[in-house]
Amino acid sequence: MTAETTTDRGVRVAGLTKVFGEGDSAVHALKGIDLEISSGEMIVVLGPSGSGKTTLCNIIGGIETSTDGKVEVAGVDISDVAPARLSDFRRDHVGFIFQFFNLIPTLTARENVEVIIEMTGRGDKTQVPKVLEAVGLGDRMDSFPSQLSGGQQQRVAVARALATDPDILFADEPTGALDLPTGQQILGLLQDLHRQGRTIIAVTHNASVAQIADRVITLVDGRIDSIQVNDSPADAADVTW
Amino acid sequence: MQARTKKTFRDLWRQRTQVIAVGITIALGVMLYITAAGAFQNLTASYDATYDRLGFADLIATGGDPEQVAQAALDAGAAEAIARTQVDPPMLLEDTKLLGRVVGLPSDGRAPVDDVDVVEGDYLDPSAPDSILLESHAAGTFDLGPGDSLEIYTATGWHAVTVAGVADSAEYLWPARSRQDVLSDPHSFAVVFADEATVQEWFATGPTQTLALLGEGADEETVTAAMKDAGASAVTTQDQQPSQATLNEDLQGFDQMSVAFPALFLIAAGVAAWVLLTRRIIQERPVIGTMMAAGARRGRILRHYLAQGALIGLVGSVVGAILGAPLNSLATSAYTGVLGVPDTVVRNYPWMIAVGIAFGVLVGALGALGPAVVASRTAPAQAMRPIADASPPGAWSRLVARMTGVPVGLRMALRDLARSTRRTFATMLGTVLALVLVLASVGMMSSILEAIRIQFDEVELADATVTVQDASGAAGAIEAMEGVAAFEDVVAGEATILANEESYETALTGYEPGTAMHGFRGVDGETLSVPADGILVGHALQDLLSVDVGDAVTVSTAAGDSQTTIAGFVDEPMGTSAYASLDTASAMLPPTGVTSHSLLFTEDADRDAMRQAITDVDGVVAYQDSRAILSIVQQYLGLFYVFIGAMILLGAVLALAVMYVTMAVNVVERTGELATLRAAGVPLRRVAGAIATENMLATLLGVPIGLLLGVWAAQAFMDTFNDDLFSLTVRWSWWALPAAALGVLLAALASQWPASRQIARVDIARVVRERAS
Repeated sequence: MTAETTTDRGVRVAGLTKVFGEGDSAVHALKGIDLEISSGEMIVVLGPSGSGKTTLCNIIGGIETSTDGKVEVAGVDISDVAPARLSDFRRDHVGFIFQFFNLIPTLTARENVEVIIEMTGRGDKTQVPKVLEAVGLGDRMDSFPSQLSGGQQQRVAVARALATDPDILFADEPTGALDLPTGQQILGLLQDLHRQGRTIIAVTHNASVAQIADRVITLVDGRIDSIQVNDSPADAADVTW
Repeated sequence: MQARTKKTFRDLWRQRTQVIAVGITIALGVMLYITAAGAFQNLTASYDATYDRLGFADLIATGGDPEQVAQAALDAGAAEAIARTQVDPPMLLEDTKLLGRVVGLPSDGRAPVDDVDVVEGDYLDPSAPDSILLESHAAGTFDLGPGDSLEIYTATGWHAVTVAGVADSAEYLWPARSRQDVLSDPHSFAVVFADEATVQEWFATGPTQTLALLGEGADEETVTAAMKDAGASAVTTQDQQPSQATLNEDLQGFDQMSVAFPALFLIAAGVAAWVLLTRRIIQERPVIGTMMAAGARRGRILRHYLAQGALIGLVGSVVGAILGAPLNSLATSAYTGVLGVPDTVVRNYPWMIAVGIAFGVLVGALGALGPAVVASRTAPAQAMRPIADASPPGAWSRLVARMTGVPVGLRMALRDLARSTRRTFATMLGTVLALVLVLASVGMMSSILEAIRIQFDEVELADATVTVQDASGAAGAIEAMEGVAAFEDVVAGEATILANEESYETALTGYEPGTAMHGFRGVDGETLSVPADGILVGHALQDLLSVDVGDAVTVSTAAGDSQTTIAGFVDEPMGTSAYASLDTASAMLPPTGVTSHSLLFTEDADRDAMRQAITDVDGVVAYQDSRAILSIVQQYLGLFYVFIGAMILLGAVLALAVMYVTMAVNVVERTGELATLRAAGVPLRRVAGAIATENMLATLLGVPIGLLLGVWAAQAFMDTFNDDLFSLTVRWSWWALPAAALGVLLAALASQWPASRQIARVDIARVVRERAS
């Protein structure tokens, strides 16, 4: 890793720009974002479809590179890191939870977590049962995805994201594929992880989800429209939509 | 077991029918390799074992003083060199008169070069000069053994001898009088080994040949040059010896097959693996994206998918090796058994099995390489997207969309050809490879049958050749015999043609002008006639001796050397003979005390009755039915058809395997739209029909390419057999190409059945639910 490092485990974004395409067909997804997220915060990035929220998280998470601007995450400057080297950054610092779970159907819950440890070379496979117990799947570790409900599958996805013990957990529409009670459970799980000190950045178009965040960043047309500080975040069980 | 290993096994299990299809294709490729390459190695080792044991000559020289030539060979470094006598006299075995061969051997010891292996009875006894050894093929053909007698026409007339033993000879593993006579009636040739001094006495001649064994350290060219300097007119190598040259043709066939046929299967398997794993990677893109998002490195992803292909290859090739090892033994034993090769080496070669397995693994891995690279380059952002939608319609799709007069089902099939070029390419390739396999096999059979037809319908027109004692009156009696339509004098003998410091041993035959007994086909298919001056020779000599029409050559026979010119080249399917007018050939060949005549029979003549009647005539010393080989060919035709049938079956398996994989993948890739059609009430028959139409269209596209490549491959395959022994050109029966195309189309049609069953098993509710989410 060639990036500069600092001791701060949070996120610093300055003048972040992302342009897809060129010339007349160029799409300016992000237009000069400045943002700081402290370690241990729970952030919800809110915005309508096409506002740039997923692009913002992808760049912070090291999935995509920026066109311009500076991005420092967990003490690592990833602004100019080649895409191929970003995998090391992701392995060491971030975890992802996706809307559609993306579980491997041929592996059990436990194996779905283990395979990430094997493929990244980070994490401890002996800790997998504990992680699964922590997300409430202690009794379903050896079930295949097809034998699990949507909520349980998303819990496996959370456990998988935690397997490498990331500094920051990204959740892309974590409740998008779930019904209300199941969605509440998943939000509760994220909230518990946050209370344990984990930095969590969730992306959603569901304004109700924003109630559990410390801060809500609203994006509109590639710019930060507002940043709302939530002094008393709601309990996940009380959130409805 | 690691989780990723479990994933590999379970992924493959989920696609087990397609994986099995790929595995079978690899198994067949490896099996064919181990069988053919093993047979090649075993046959080579078998021949070498016999050659070493019996001291098969490395060099055979004719001309000059054989004793002096032998000494020159020894002086030049040959390990052993001997002079011996070889004569081709008439013989009478049971009731058959034929032109045989008598070869001299020492009776007071064993020959250091070209010894024999007595398999029944005893070796020659110096105290019994009229005892002989009979070569084992002749012993089998005429059912003769120790104690039986036969007659040899010597310088003093018919002489009765007793069979002391039956012997195998390295020179006659394939019994052929000369390179021009490698396919002949077994009843027309027999080899007898007798005491060297006795042979010289019988035929009032001295040694006629020199045999040399090079041993270690001797240089072939040096010894050859020394033998020529000592007076030898021609020196032939072991590879040019008739038996070895003929057997070598088959060896080449095994060698070719050990590369070509496995290659077809392994290419097909590689493509099928490619299609299969590409599909998997498209399906798993979000999962791969998730792994990449979690920080998995590209190399790890690459290795994971490469391992899947390699695993299929490993399992398939191990199965192929398990099947190939016994088949190799079976093929070797059957072949050496039929030929009567004395030393049969049946061995499976660990290196060959290792190579076969390595190839199988490599093919699986190569098939997986493309998809694995694609997987390793998957952007982690793919994890956030469902499986990508189809790419926007291209020019072909837009064109088809405008064909409003065409039914929508057909338009869909036409459009889908370009929608997944990978799938269409794979289906076409399966078609092409299957056609190449089938046509190469059918082409080989049809060209051999055609060569036989040309040889006996256009070249060798005589029904029989009879040899009679001079002035016996037998000739007149035969010419007047009922059933004889034409009767001509011919002369024939061994000759060596020399030019440009090269030489070629062949048979020289003289015919009457305007002969009806032999057709002379020119190189361009024109008809030539017997030249008044000069000789006609097989076109292979054009390259072998670097000569052209009008060039001067020397014809060396036992009567001495004659100067003549090349009057023209003939193109004959079998052999490279020399022809001249009766007068020219008679002047070149030594007097033999016998005369030969070619006969044509009337259409209603009974060939067996003619043979019996002619050989009963006093003064007849040899009779050869020129057409008897045809009945032998008929006997072996069944084996030909078994071989072709096996190749067609393998071609069908190849086509089925590749097409099944592509069609199964087709169904999986389009599960959503197929389920939607089914949900909308479209009958299974119509949905399966649409898929089948697309697949059959892709197959049809592959047919012309397959036919072209198949015809080319058949010719290329046959070209490897073309030399001075055979001149084979692939000629197709009118039905061959349409039948091959129809066969492959039927195989493609058959592979639709499992695809339609797969469509029937699609859980419409589940698919629609998944799409809704």
